[in-house]
Amino acid sequence: MPTVTIDGIRVEVETGATVLDAARKAGIWIPTLCYHPAVSPPATCRLCMVELDRGDWKQLVTSCNYPVRCDIEVSVSSDRAVAARRGVMQLLLALAPENEQLKALAERMGVEGTPYPTVTTSQRDCILCGLCTAVCDEVLGRSAIAFSGRGPDRAVTTPFRQPAEDCIGCGACAVVCPVGTIRIRMHEQEGEIEISPFKTRAKMLTCEQCGARVTSVPVAEYALNRAQIDWQEFRQLARLCPRCRRKRTAARLTEGRTLAAQAGYVAGTKKAE
Amino acid sequence: MTVVAAKPISSPAALQRKREQLGKQRSGPAKRVRVCIGTGCAAKGSRRLYELFVEAMKESDMAVEAVICVGCHGFCQRGPIVVVEPGEIFYQQVEEPDVAEIFRETVLGGRVVERLLYEDPVTDKRAKTAAEIPFYRAQQRIVLAHNGVIDPTSIDDYIAVGGYGALAKALTAMTPEQVLAQVERSGLRGRGGGGFPTARKWRSCRNAPGQPKYVICNGDEGDPGAFMDRSIMEGNPHAILEGMALGAYAIGSSQGYIYVRNEYPLAVKHLRGAIEDARAAGLLGQDILGTGFSFDIRINRGGGAFVCGESTALMASLEGRPGEPRAKYVHTVESGLREKPTNLNNVETWANVPAIINRGGEWFASIGTEKSKGTKVFSLVGKVENTGLVEVPMGITLRRIIEEIGGGVPDGKAFKAVQTGGPSGGCIPAEHLDTAVDFDELTELGSMMGSGGMIVMDEDTCMVNVARYFLNFLNAESCGKCTPCREGLAQMLAILDRITHGEGRQGDIDRLEQLADLLEGTALCALGKTAANPVLSTIRYFRDEYDAHILQQRCPAKECRGLFRYEIDPEACKACGLCLKHCPVEAISGEKKVPHVIDQQKCTHCGTCLDKCPFGAVLKV
Repeated sequence: MPTVTIDGIRVEVETGATVLDAARKAGIWIPTLCYHPAVSPPATCRLCMVELDRGDWKQLVTSCNYPVRCDIEVSVSSDRAVAARRGVMQLLLALAPENEQLKALAERMGVEGTPYPTVTTSQRDCILCGLCTAVCDEVLGRSAIAFSGRGPDRAVTTPFRQPAEDCIGCGACAVVCPVGTIRIRMHEQEGEIEISPFKTRAKMLTCEQCGARVTSVPVAEYALNRAQIDWQEFRQLARLCPRCRRKRTAARLTEGRTLAAQAGYVAGTKKAE
Repeated sequence: MTVVAAKPISSPAALQRKREQLGKQRSGPAKRVRVCIGTGCAAKGSRRLYELFVEAMKESDMAVEAVICVGCHGFCQRGPIVVVEPGEIFYQQVEEPDVAEIFRETVLGGRVVERLLYEDPVTDKRAKTAAEIPFYRAQQRIVLAHNGVIDPTSIDDYIAVGGYGALAKALTAMTPEQVLAQVERSGLRGRGGGGFPTARKWRSCRNAPGQPKYVICNGDEGDPGAFMDRSIMEGNPHAILEGMALGAYAIGSSQGYIYVRNEYPLAVKHLRGAIEDARAAGLLGQDILGTGFSFDIRINRGGGAFVCGESTALMASLEGRPGEPRAKYVHTVESGLREKPTNLNNVETWANVPAIINRGGEWFASIGTEKSKGTKVFSLVGKVENTGLVEVPMGITLRRIIEEIGGGVPDGKAFKAVQTGGPSGGCIPAEHLDTAVDFDELTELGSMMGSGGMIVMDEDTCMVNVARYFLNFLNAESCGKCTPCREGLAQMLAILDRITHGEGRQGDIDRLEQLADLLEGTALCALGKTAANPVLSTIRYFRDEYDAHILQQRCPAKECRGLFRYEIDPEACKACGLCLKHCPVEAISGEKKVPHVIDQQKCTHCGTCLDKCPFGAVLKV
C-alpha cells in the first residue's frame, strides 16, 4: 500500500484512494463542497486544492480526485495551497454572497468576506458544484436536472426550465446540496411535494392506515421497481407509513404467536410437550 | 478529375505500379490549370473561376489535360490564385473577366499575362512563379508541400506525388517499434499547442494496458484568426489519413476518429471523400495493402465549442456527452475515449508523419532548433501586408516572418506587437522581434506557440483592449464547469471592462495578477490555466498603457471610446459642413469659411465626423 505524507503525517491508503481519503485518515480537514461519497467526484468547486510535492517541482491538485498510485508527499498547509483555497472561496462568495452555509464554511477556513463584486448571476445562491446533477444521474438514474448554458450562463435546470417529468420528487438533490440552495417544500393542502427551485411537484403517498404523508408516489413506485419483489403483502406494506408498517408487522407477530401457542409451538412453551 | 480506383490496391507493389503509371500519364508538358478553392479564394469567388475554366476547356479543341481545384496556397491576401502548368505561372487576384484572357494567352498560347502577376512593392519586379515571390522565398513547406498542387478530392493526385508510400514502407519494411523510433528521432512535438513530444505520447499509449486503442485527430481549430488546420484538411486530407494510419500502426490501434468543426464544411466534405476513396482503394479498412494491418477512420463533427479542442472535452463530446474537460491526473493515453488508451494529436502533427517516415527522422531533425524540430505553419493575420498561411522552419525570427514574408505593417504605421498562440497566448512587443520562433522561446516571453495563430498589431491597437477582447472570448467559451475559470474570468473581464471605460482604480493591475495566478494554479483544464496569458503578457510589456487608462483616463492608442477626444484641426478644415451635417448629437458648430469646432460637452465620441471628413481634419487627441 502506498504511503501518503500529509503535512508530515504518514498514512497508508489503498492504491487508487484519493488524497482526500488519506487526509481524512490522517485527521486533517480539507474544505470540500462538491465532494460526496455517493457520487464520483466532479472536482468542479476546486476548493480542496492541496500542493503535491514532486521533488523537483510542486503542483496544485484537487485532493478529492487525485488518485494515490505511489508514495507521495502532500501539503495542505503550504502558503500556495492555502492561497489557492482562499482565492477559490472568495470567488464563490462573490457568486453567492448571501449564502449562510457558504459563509460558515468560509469562516471556518478563515476567509473573511470577498474583495470581488457579484458579476455572474445566472442562478441565485447556487455555487454550480454539480452534486445535485451527479446524484440525480449516477444514483437515481433519472437525470431530471442537468447543467444548461455555458460559462457564465451555466445553471442547473430541468429540461427547458419546465417542471420535469423525470423528477420523482425524491429530494436527493436537496439532501446533497452543500449550500442548502435546493429545498424540499411541502404543499399540505394539495398533498404535493415540491423540489425548489425547479418547480417540479409530485403527489404524496398517504398512509392507507393513518393518513400520514409517506413519500412521493413516484418514489414509492421507483423503490418497488428497484426492489423487484413481486409479493402482494410487500406491496401492501409499501403503501403504509413506517409507523403503521411496524404496527402491522408487530400485530402479525403477536397473531402468529397466539396461533403458535395454541398449537404448542411457541419457544419457551416447549416444555408443555 | 476524381478517378476512384476501380478495385482495391492489393499490395505495396501494386501501389508502386499505380504511382509509376500515374507518373507516366502526367509526365511531359501537360497543360493544367490549378484554381485555388481554399476558403480565402473561395470567398472571393474562385468556384466560379473554376467553372469558367472548365467551360473554356470544353469549348476549346486544344489538348488541355485538366482544370483542377486545389487547396490553399497560403497567399490569401492576393487571392483568388490560379496557377497554370507548364511553367507554374502564378496569377493572383484573378477575376471572372480574366479567365478568358488567361485561357487564350497562357493555356493555349503559352504567353504570360503580365498584369496578373505579382508585383513586388519594393522592386516593382513582376514574379512569374511562386518561387520568385518574397512571401514564399523564406518558407519551407513540408506539411503544405502539396497544398495548392494536388486536387484534394483525388486520391490519384495524392498517390502520384508519392502519397501512401510512407504507409506502404512502414507496413512492409518496418516494425511498429521502428516507426516509433523514426518519429522519436525526428523530435516531432505536438502542433496543437502544448508541444508535447509526439513519440513519447505514442509510446505511452502503445505501452498502456487495455484494448482497443484509439487514435484521434483534433481538427477542432477554434482560435480567432487561425486557419492552419482548416487549410490542411481542405487541401490535403489524405496526408492526415496516412499520418493517422502510421500512428495507429505504431501504437497498435485499429480505429481512428477525426473530430472536425462543423463550421468547416469543405474540410468535412474533403475528409469524408478522402476516407471513402481510401477505403475503396484498400488503403483504409480491413487488411490494408494485403499486409494484414487493419485501420479505419470515422469523422465526428463538432458543434463549434472552443473548449472541445481540449483533449478530454473532445473525447467527452465524441462519446456524446457535453463537451466538458475532466481532470487529467490519469492521462488519456491510459484512459481516454471510452476509458481506453487514446492517442490524440493535432491535424498538423499527423500531417507531418508521412514525410518523417518517407525521408527519415534524421532529415526532419536537421530542420529547426535544438528542441523544436521541423517546420511550423502559422496563419499570419492582422495589420500585415501579406496575410495568409506560412510554413517556416522552427527557429526563424519573428521579424523575418512579419517583415520579410508578411511584408511588414501596411499604411506606414509602426509595428506594436504580435499576438501568438491563440487566445491563450500572449502579445510580444517590438523589442523581442528578433526572438527565434520555437516552443520554448515563445513560452519564455510569456506567450506560446499554440496552434500557430499570429496576429500582428500596429500602433493604433490598444493593448488593454486586446487583452479584454481575448478574455471576453475565453469567458464566453469557458464551459463553466470549474469555479476559477467561470468566476475568475468573469471577474477579470469586469475589471478590464472598467479600465477600458475609464473607470479603472488603483490596485486593479494587482488584482488582475492575483486572479491570473489563481487561475493558473486551480483551473481544471488548460483553457482556464492559460486564459490569463493575454492579460499577463500585456501587463508585462505594456504596463504604461494600463497606467494611462487607470491613472489618466487616457487611451494612448486612441481606441477605447471615451478615453480620447475628437478635435478639428482649424488649418486643415475646409468648413465644408459634412461633419456638422452628420453629427448625430449636433455637437459641431461652424459656418461657411469658418473652421468647425466640436463641443466636447455634447460629443459622444461616435467617430462619425472622423469617417465623414474628406480632408482628414478630424483628429483623435
